[in-house]
Amino acid sequence: MGVQMLSQNERERYSRQILLFGEEGQERLKNATIFIAGAGGLGSPVSIYLAVAGVGRIILVDKDAVERTNLNRQILHYDRDIGRKKTASAEEKLRAINPDITVEVLDTTIDETNVHELVGNADGIVDAMDNFPTRYLLNRVALKMGIPLFHGAIRGLYGQATTVLPGKTACLRCVFPHPPPKEVFPVVGVTPGFIGMVQATEVVKYLVGTGELLANRLLLWDGERAVVEEIALERDPSCEVCGGKNQHGDAP
Amino acid sequence: MKVTLRFFARFGELLGKDRVVDAPENTSLADLVRDAASQNGEGYGSIFDEQGKFRDYVILMRNGKRVSAAAAERTALSEGDEVAVFPPVAGG
Repeated sequence: MGVQMLSQNERERYSRQILLFGEEGQERLKNATIFIAGAGGLGSPVSIYLAVAGVGRIILVDKDAVERTNLNRQILHYDRDIGRKKTASAEEKLRAINPDITVEVLDTTIDETNVHELVGNADGIVDAMDNFPTRYLLNRVALKMGIPLFHGAIRGLYGQATTVLPGKTACLRCVFPHPPPKEVFPVVGVTPGFIGMVQATEVVKYLVGTGELLANRLLLWDGERAVVEEIALERDPSCEVCGGKNQHGDAP
Repeated sequence: MKVTLRFFARFGELLGKDRVVDAPENTSLADLVRDAASQNGEGYGSIFDEQGKFRDYVILMRNGKRVSAAAAERTALSEGDEVAVFPPVAGG
């Protein structure tokens, strides 16, 4: 599939952001594929905003069905969707939100055996998972493919986000060599909403090619105090995944 | 010497967020955190294991730079240093 130009409808739909990014920027969004791992608290706002922004192809993966306990934060899913597959619910909403984009949903668990096939030729991976083992898997695939990983995670009123650029920044394993303990995490929907917006903003900037990414920077959101902090990151030369080495460019 | 100690997220809830500590010269980063955390059993237990070592997921920073748990034991602090301790979160 070659590069596609904007239709008249699209010029109108995206007119307010074409003021920001130009038609060229909008065409970059249209011709991009983003892989979103998870259709839950983070995946909901991320996929909704990437859909309305006109990211041309969105691949969304989740294996779960909608439960009532999801509804305080997973805004893709409505009360009537309880018991339905999250992928079916998400597909319906995203298509209704923007029929001009392609939405592909995959009702499966991401694991070692299928992750490459699932990610396919995506231009970037959004980490909207709720566990570190799958995050580490996504990190490895992103490094191998040389595509960015847009990390986000939340708990309670706290969240964190960073953008992993293979060959340029610390990888997820450099930053978090050991996962925190598993738990049923407390959360109010505004927290994944906030962090999901950070991730979606990163995706849009990356695809359009504008602004400064959260590269080698960990954004920390303290919703309790309403403070955003950032800490500098660097590659870990002894990282078991990237070894502090560049996969696709110069050595650090 | 005066150093600033900051606990983030869950650690901050248990131990208080920010404080300025008047610490003896040559206090190590690890001892600074240990002393402060020992005021609260649950807070201490969330950062240190039964042997008194940092739990492996705890992230330590000194003046914005990452310090490993092993290095924290031998890193002597200086006047004006800022130490940050935080737990990664995992939810989505």
